[in-house]
Amino acid sequence: MQIFDDYKDHADFLTIYIREAHPLDEWRMKSNEKDKDDVCYVQPKNLAQRVAIANDFTQRFKFSVPFGIDEMNNAANDAYAAWPERLYILDESGRISYKGGNGPFQYDPKEVRAWLAQRYGEVKHPEPAPEKKS
Amino acid sequence: MNRTLLWIAISFGGLVVLAYVGLSILAGGPRDAIEMVRFALPYMHRGKLKVGDKAPDSQLVALDGATRFHIRERTNGRPLVLVFGSFT
Repeated sequence: MQIFDDYKDHADFLTIYIREAHPLDEWRMKSNEKDKDDVCYVQPKNLAQRVAIANDFTQRFKFSVPFGIDEMNNAANDAYAAWPERLYILDESGRISYKGGNGPFQYDPKEVRAWLAQRYGEVKHPEPAPEKKS
Repeated sequence: MNRTLLWIAISFGGLVVLAYVGLSILAGGPRDAIEMVRFALPYMHRGKLKVGDKAPDSQLVALDGATRFHIRERTNGRPLVLVFGSFT
């Protein structure tokens, strides 16, 4: 996540893993089934399954952004109307300073970058070179 | 009277078909339209939170599956970017 790399010295980030959007037993997506990464899961029925998928995700993508998992009562998801994906920025006093739209169509990281750039200036570190396949 | 009812029924049926076709195009296919209505729409909300509102706090689970922490614990006197999402 390039925004995290660029602004982690200025702001904190927290990824919150919520209920799956396109599991095999609900609204499955052909693109997931064809995906070279084979992103095919059923909707987790317990916390252990949710934790396992979250770990698979972070390990596969070497995801370095701080990570939390929503409880099975979906409390964080419900509080923030977050499903299927959504972005927020909380200010220093714990108030909502930016509320993004519902993904995927209104999910716009550029708006988060613009918010951070307005406050801290443009920051753009070079993207890491892709790993060579052995 | 019967003729009026017939036209109402035809119009209603036409609207249903149009809605189904529209949803199918939006969702990616006829099966996707049904699954979208069944599994996505009940969970997709605009939400009542507004800019300026106090951010709700929730308990989260760490990747070890055991440690619990609160969103509020991550506000360390700096802005906090929350990224909600899933794998699929």
